[in-house]
Amino acid sequence: MVFEYSEEQQMLADSLRRLMTDNWTMARRRARQGGLDPSAWNALAELGILGLVIDAGHGGFGEPPASLLPVHLELGAGLADEPVIPSCVMAATAIRASGNEEAARRWLPRIACGEAIFSVAYQEPGRRYATEPRDCRLAGLVLDGSKHLVWHAGAAHAWIVSARDAASNEAVLLIVPADAAGVAVTQTNTLDRSRCGRIDFKQVTLSQDHVLARGAAARAALDLALQWGTAALCAHAVGAMARLLDITVDYLKTRKQFGQPLAAFQALQHRMAEMVVAKEMALSMAYVAAAALTEPDARARRRMIAAAKLETARSGRFLSQCAVQLHGGMGMTDELEVGDFFKRLTVVELLLGDSAEQLAALEETA
Amino acid sequence: MQLNWTPEERRFREDVREFVSANLPADIRDKVMRHQRLHRDDYIRWHCALDARGWGAPTWPGEFGGTGWNAIERLIFEVECFSAGAPRLLPFGLSMIGPVLMKYGSRAQQERFLPRIVRMQDWWCQGYSEPGSGSDLASLKTRAERDGDHYRVDGQKTWTTLAQYADWMFCLVRTNSEVKQQLGISLLLIDMKSPGVTVRPIKTLDGGCDVNEVWLENVQVPAENLVGEEGKGWTYAKYLLGHERTGIAGLGHCHRELRILKDLAARTQSSSGRPILEDPRMRDRLSRIEVDIMALEMLLLRVAAARGDAPPGPEASVLKIRGSEIQQDLAMLQMEIAGPDAWPYDPDWMEADAPFHGPGAEMTAASGAGYADMRKVSIYGGTTEVQKSIIARMMLGL
Repeated sequence: MVFEYSEEQQMLADSLRRLMTDNWTMARRRARQGGLDPSAWNALAELGILGLVIDAGHGGFGEPPASLLPVHLELGAGLADEPVIPSCVMAATAIRASGNEEAARRWLPRIACGEAIFSVAYQEPGRRYATEPRDCRLAGLVLDGSKHLVWHAGAAHAWIVSARDAASNEAVLLIVPADAAGVAVTQTNTLDRSRCGRIDFKQVTLSQDHVLARGAAARAALDLALQWGTAALCAHAVGAMARLLDITVDYLKTRKQFGQPLAAFQALQHRMAEMVVAKEMALSMAYVAAAALTEPDARARRRMIAAAKLETARSGRFLSQCAVQLHGGMGMTDELEVGDFFKRLTVVELLLGDSAEQLAALEETA
Repeated sequence: MQLNWTPEERRFREDVREFVSANLPADIRDKVMRHQRLHRDDYIRWHCALDARGWGAPTWPGEFGGTGWNAIERLIFEVECFSAGAPRLLPFGLSMIGPVLMKYGSRAQQERFLPRIVRMQDWWCQGYSEPGSGSDLASLKTRAERDGDHYRVDGQKTWTTLAQYADWMFCLVRTNSEVKQQLGISLLLIDMKSPGVTVRPIKTLDGGCDVNEVWLENVQVPAENLVGEEGKGWTYAKYLLGHERTGIAGLGHCHRELRILKDLAARTQSSSGRPILEDPRMRDRLSRIEVDIMALEMLLLRVAAARGDAPPGPEASVLKIRGSEIQQDLAMLQMEIAGPDAWPYDPDWMEADAPFHGPGAEMTAASGAGYADMRKVSIYGGTTEVQKSIIARMMLGL
């Protein structure tokens, strides 16, 4: 086992940290909310973040999956809301894993340079995190049905959509352009100041080019996309935790009550220590998640990802609750960054499978 | 010992339940049960409905226009009201300044202000915390200087709940900077319409604006609005905080929220397609919270019965700590039940006329905001950390 970052990974982490510090301040983040800022997106593209794990042959940076860890730690610390995970991690993974070389050649280079933004639409209303498509049906090449909770649905040029083939009853994975006739997107804001959307497909006529994969290949590609997305999300969450820890330490050193800084009170020092423990456990599980991406045993991989998600969500919840508590009344205001971090760490539980899902996965693979 | 509800207590519970069922306006009940935002008029309407029955001050002695109920009856009343979806009665007049005026106020102040609290004619707010004085309230800096028959007040208060609706503020001010901090504090009653009073909303995590900053710039307050004696404000403040803490246990809230949770779990499907209420893990979680609430209720009853009408002691801290933890657990459980549907959120959805689709949709939409909002219960009214220090000092002599 080697844990040192490679030169590339270190360079990526350092330059990304600088970028986050300069350009992903609270004020700038909030100003960019609700829409995709082209200059912010381009800044990420230029650093190679968008094409990070897309191979060089398809226009990417060609980094191994483990590089997602240092990169998404920094993105999380900056609370970046840009669709890096849905597009550059999840959709790119689905396309690569589908084995569909046509699609790979057409889309991966454009995802890598940021020209094309994707998201993955797999959840259906009323079915929580179920991955087998039921509502969305493909009759021939005509798509009907709905997906919801699609991360940054409104910013995407196209979505990876899971559907059920009406004739064969097998799963299919489709690439549906956002400007296709019969597509309607309803966007909503989210608790963590991001955006998601519901997509309604009404008699959307696709071409053969839009079929990414069928049957087992479709299911496998979606599963892998979710696993890679989860690993990136775990790292993102831990990055946010680490930054929130720093913010809270600074607050405790600055805020005075009873004639001394809050940092002088042992009870609060111990609470901060507990937060450190939580962060370290979560960081360790982010490493487990990164390791899972190159774990050949599918069952082991599934367990590692589920465990990482479970632990990250729990630690994130605990740490963010402590951070708010330690900020006292100020932690409840919208004015401070604490709230933004708290909300992001809260929704980590809700994205890509909640704790009940992860526990079910662990039980199924026991 | 009499450890079971007496026939009289059961009858009393029935009476309250019947009254609320017949007199709680449906639109207010719906807002409460759906966790939607209540507005000024909602609170006033419900309080007036109670007042019409002679129940405008359910925690007060008859001498001051209250119902004269004992501690057990007061608890039954609160639980029944909350369970049925009634909004909480605003504590600022009824539970805070009211008891202080009864004990320390002048006859003139009692006659002027107490009846108006009973009838919900004056909306009160609490001028305690300041930006530099949160947990360390005694360090407060808002100054009041005596000038003939007036005080001139200058300073800034914060976390003033619902000040935007308030007619009056009871305000802790510093009248003497030469003595030990606690001994230089006085309690003034300030008309919110006085020139120099400015209220600014503070936006909170859930996107709402229920708390405010209140600036006081050269506000003239008649000397007869001083409560009790100059320099005794800290005593009055502590007396008031004890009352605040018992109320904050939120037993009625817990009962209601548990019912709402079970209902939500019955109506929400898990990934397997079955109602979440059928999931053994969820059933265990609900069982555990039910145990917690049972214990909280019995603790409240024990404390209430032991104290009678005497002011709450350090046991109020035990109630506050545990009550706030259970409230937070309930809020988190609701978000868990909502699952992925808790992610989308817009503060506008908390309004009663927000457009929703499908049963239970409002509940899932509000659950993330509710979870975030509930983080305040371990902070306000004295943080959990402060409560623990009180227990250590006052109950254990440490």
